[in-house]
Amino acid sequence: MGELAVYKHVHYILSVEKRKDSFESVVMDHLRMNGAYWGLTTLDLLGKLGTVNADEVISWIMKCQHESGGFAGNIGHDPHILYTLSAVQVLALFNKLDVLDTDKVAAYIIGLQNEDGSFSGDMWGEVDTSCRNLDGGFGCTPGGESHAGQIFCCVGALAIAGSLHHIDKDLLGWWLCERQVKSGGLNGRPEKLPDVCYSWWVLSSLILIDRVHWIDKEKLVKFILDCQDVENGGISDRPNDAVDVFHTYFGVAGLSLLEYPGLKAIDPAYALPVNVINRIFFSR
Amino acid sequence: MNENSWDENRAMDLLNQFEAILESDPLIDEVGFIHPSQFVTLSNECGESGDSSEDGAFGPKNTKFWNRDHKLGISTEVLLPLCKAAKSAFMDALKQYKNLCSFSDNNHEDENIMFGSLSCLSFESEVMKHGRAVLLLSCDFGTAWNSRKLVVSKKQQLSMLMDELLLSALVLSYSPKSEQAWSHRRWVIKMIAGKHSNLQDIMAKESELVEKIAERSKMNYRAWNHRCWLVSYMTREQMLHELKKSRDWAGLHVADNSCFHYRRRLILGISENSCCKQEGENSSYDVENYQIVKEELDLNEVLIKRYIGREALWLHRRFLSLCMIRHLTTMHDISCHPEQKTSMDNEINIFLDNESCLLNYCSTIQDTEFEDFKAQAMYSAVYFLWLITQIPQFREIDLQVKLRTENLKTILHEACPERSFLWGFPDLNGSF
Repeated sequence: MGELAVYKHVHYILSVEKRKDSFESVVMDHLRMNGAYWGLTTLDLLGKLGTVNADEVISWIMKCQHESGGFAGNIGHDPHILYTLSAVQVLALFNKLDVLDTDKVAAYIIGLQNEDGSFSGDMWGEVDTSCRNLDGGFGCTPGGESHAGQIFCCVGALAIAGSLHHIDKDLLGWWLCERQVKSGGLNGRPEKLPDVCYSWWVLSSLILIDRVHWIDKEKLVKFILDCQDVENGGISDRPNDAVDVFHTYFGVAGLSLLEYPGLKAIDPAYALPVNVINRIFFSR
Repeated sequence: MNENSWDENRAMDLLNQFEAILESDPLIDEVGFIHPSQFVTLSNECGESGDSSEDGAFGPKNTKFWNRDHKLGISTEVLLPLCKAAKSAFMDALKQYKNLCSFSDNNHEDENIMFGSLSCLSFESEVMKHGRAVLLLSCDFGTAWNSRKLVVSKKQQLSMLMDELLLSALVLSYSPKSEQAWSHRRWVIKMIAGKHSNLQDIMAKESELVEKIAERSKMNYRAWNHRCWLVSYMTREQMLHELKKSRDWAGLHVADNSCFHYRRRLILGISENSCCKQEGENSSYDVENYQIVKEELDLNEVLIKRYIGREALWLHRRFLSLCMIRHLTTMHDISCHPEQKTSMDNEINIFLDNESCLLNYCSTIQDTEFEDFKAQAMYSAVYFLWLITQIPQFREIDLQVKLRTENLKTILHEACPERSFLWGFPDLNGSF
């Protein structure tokens, strides 16, 4: 079995940050806030958050805050709940949540809740509801197909709200463990190819419902390691594809959940290092 | 040409050219990014000569844009400066527009309103013009989609809403997974549903659009998700029609789990749309609903036997079996006669008997040259195991069926030894 090329991945992430003048990065600059979360959390899991200038990052984040209290993906863009989440997560990594006017941010989020309990992503109202399907999984809209990413969001939300008892864990666990294919990787739904990002979504869901022993963990570790680009750093969706920060984060986070040596532990529901979560809760 | 040598003016020229093409050809239905070397090939294919005529402004001599037959090609060389120019122009226009909007919202003097709203209009058209350019290059730029919602919701014109459908369809033609584009369509449809009556027509067109996109972009989650969303706007008749119409397509795309999920959505919708009617109608709906599930089960069995080892088909069967059991149970709940109960048990037995026959048929691994037979055996065994654990009636059924399932463990051991957790399943052990 190969090894995790830690320094290569750190180098890759830091280089992506600087590479801002290509067509690919320009068309992605609306989700720079998410990119910051993926890159920086990965660095923290690898124990290398210190290689980044925290003040620069934090000052940029605050420039992305909208008057409504929500955060945008980049300066001057519209706010959205997803970027708000990433912003808060990054500030938590740096232990700088105190720069926030928490009431204001909370008010923005609360303002997005609908009468039926669901949340809109932003003022335009697209709701990412989570609706339970007959196969035990969750889809994006009422009647939407079960999808591992959506399942993670629901299971994570229920976990945080202390409501996992609403889930049929055997039924859901069954569907989730069927996501593991012969190569050891996980897919997001039936008949699809495995993808490293599902190492996070499926895996953390299984951990939260206490069914992770239903998959072959060793094979999954091997799959993730095979997705590395050991020359240039970074992790891709499946072996020999192009790497990106998104999959680098999910690969490292997945390995952390699988207790790969040398990585910080990550919380499966909050998707932040355990010490960061503990820091928040214990400071109350 | 070095990308870094594009200065602002030249980039603005590019943007103006691009936007002029879009303006002059509102029927563009396809956009692509092409390598500069392909421009010559394209021109040759169209039989254009070296000296272009007057209207060849975007013909062979132009190596940045290519526009013919409502197709638009953009040279990869100019993508970066074009995108940056479009974004910058858009963001400027948006800022001005928003400032003026809030200015005229906050001021009530007639003069100010007049001046404010005229400028507002001009920036509004800038926002729409530059926004369209940006979105064709960077289709997930949410802020640009939002700005269009802002403008359109102020105008409340059906024609503008229809234009938004055109733009998003164009984007989806080359970015069929763009969630922003799908989401924008849903917003537009909700706006239309709110005030205009040609909704049924629009629904039908949306369904067709998804099918067309699904043909080129297999298992496109977002496209099918969008189609599932439409179901909540459909009448029972439309759902029945959709189910029938998409049957053949499903039979040709047996690995497309999204397609079968859509059929499940329709079947659920049909059965949910059977309540709150009078007694007489109720029972005829029950029969129709039962027929639908039965037919789907039959189709599923045919496909399972024809296309060996397809996970999506077996997962579909799980749903259908559950539906069938529920039908058989509820149909007999209407009266509580003991005879009725025996009759119900009989019907369930017959059903389970058929399923175990299917299991036996599928669990013979004929050869190991291809994975298919082994996969088929595994899926059929896991399906049957799943069935046993899901339906409470299994405990009371026929010994015959139970005896057949003694084979189940053997099959599981042979077909999927790695799924050993299945042996630990309490129900399985209890039933044996």
